[in-house]
Amino acid sequence: MTDLAQNTLDGLFLGSSYALLALGFTLIFGVLRRVNLSFGPAIMFGCYAATWVNLNFGVGLMALALITVAGAVLAGAYVERLCFAPHRNGSPIAAMVASFALWMQFEELATIALPRHIYDFPPLHGGTPLEFGGLMLRVESLVMLLAAIVMCAVLWGILYRTRFGVALRAVIDQPQAAQLAGIDVPRVFVLTFALASAIGGLAGFLIAASHEQVTPMLGMWSTLKGLLAMMLGGLGSLPGAVLGGLALGLLEAHSQWFLGPQYRDLLAYLLLFVLLAARVPWMTTRSAS
Amino acid sequence: MSALLEIRDLVTAYGKIEALKGVTLEVQQESITCLLGPNGAGKTTLMMSIAGILKPRQGAIQFGGENIAGRPPHAIVAKGIALVPENRLVFPTMTVLENLQAGAYQQGDKKTIAEDIDRMFVRFPRLKERIEQQAGTLSGGEQQMLAVARALMSRPKLLLMDEPSLGLAPLVVEEIFRIVTDLHRDGTTIFLVEQNAHMALKVAQHFYLMEQGKVSFSGTPGALAEDEVIRRAYLGSSKT
Repeated sequence: MTDLAQNTLDGLFLGSSYALLALGFTLIFGVLRRVNLSFGPAIMFGCYAATWVNLNFGVGLMALALITVAGAVLAGAYVERLCFAPHRNGSPIAAMVASFALWMQFEELATIALPRHIYDFPPLHGGTPLEFGGLMLRVESLVMLLAAIVMCAVLWGILYRTRFGVALRAVIDQPQAAQLAGIDVPRVFVLTFALASAIGGLAGFLIAASHEQVTPMLGMWSTLKGLLAMMLGGLGSLPGAVLGGLALGLLEAHSQWFLGPQYRDLLAYLLLFVLLAARVPWMTTRSAS
Repeated sequence: MSALLEIRDLVTAYGKIEALKGVTLEVQQESITCLLGPNGAGKTTLMMSIAGILKPRQGAIQFGGENIAGRPPHAIVAKGIALVPENRLVFPTMTVLENLQAGAYQQGDKKTIAEDIDRMFVRFPRLKERIEQQAGTLSGGEQQMLAVARALMSRPKLLLMDEPSLGLAPLVVEEIFRIVTDLHRDGTTIFLVEQNAHMALKVAQHFYLMEQGKVSFSGTPGALAEDEVIRRAYLGSSKT
């Protein structure tokens, strides 16, 4: 019983990091109808920038968080300008392949700047986990869950309470009518990329701090988890992204416990396959709000 | 009267295919000008070119003494042109109120926006009843009214309307045309694309016939017998 509760808790914490990644992914997909494979690598770039600064100058945690987010936003804007702006009305495949090329760029850049495969990343707390009635709670996990809840609230506020939010939802809903309403759509694209990358950067910082290490694989890992969570929640739906992330986390935590770590990813992809094959209703809609 | 909009030798192409092959026409200040023609004549292409969605290859679009051809859509809205697009294109998952707010995107002042929204609800009382409803759940006629109201929220000097009666029941079509004449009476200049030539000729002061990417006739509604206009508007004249 305690195991089940512990696994569920772990799954929720893991899932909240996936939810953050999926939120960023979904914003970009919802607005552009394009898959950005470089989403994760841009986050990894932010983490590496922070690690590099930390190794050379030794800065505090807050500064590391800021550098990670700033690095991810910068890398995200670079991806938008190079991969998505030129293909705005063109082929979605061209944009996706271009974003794959930038993925390779980010990985190469990371290994040139920091050639060892693994670097330490300072933990948020570092102490022993807290214990509540037999359940273990890591401070990092709690912060992750809190960050996910706060980001959802902030994102909701931006989408439903600001002028930019109206513009963003208008672009998601009906891009041509958004242009006709006088919305500067290319500007909305860039700002959306910046916003999504900032959310991703925050997730990246928390993930790196919770793993206490960074590797170039963080890029691929973030893209795969974000993509999977986004698809589980139904493409382009923001609440779906959060639910998809949490579901993925729970599934992974439980399957790892009951079946063993080697089945963890297999089961997640199997579930995605079954859901897609069964054409569950929420996956066939393309609405974003 | 002077021309608010002057289009000269406008060419717009999709790849190698020219949909507009040198269109020249004028819309007079405070008029209703109507554009008729068969499907594929290039009417929607012309509207999209004026609104900046499509980039013309050649020619000029003079609006208020300035050439706006090739400017981006948001810059053209800022100049005072709003297009009610074909098939309405409301924002389906946003509420009626949010659709109107999106239409006022370039209006800075919150108080003015609130006043404009109130004015829209006076003009379109049906929209007020549906204020919190998602636009995608409205009927076709209501969506058309919302699309018109959304365009008016940008306070345009020139209102472009692309087939506002498309797919609507006769009674609703009557209502849409009543709104068109109301707007005109209140001082809005209207440039209207219509399939319903009979209704369009009743409200317009001037009309153009377009065929195969060119203006083939220009005149006042009495200048050509209505059945001749309708025949050419639906079938084109080249076959006779």
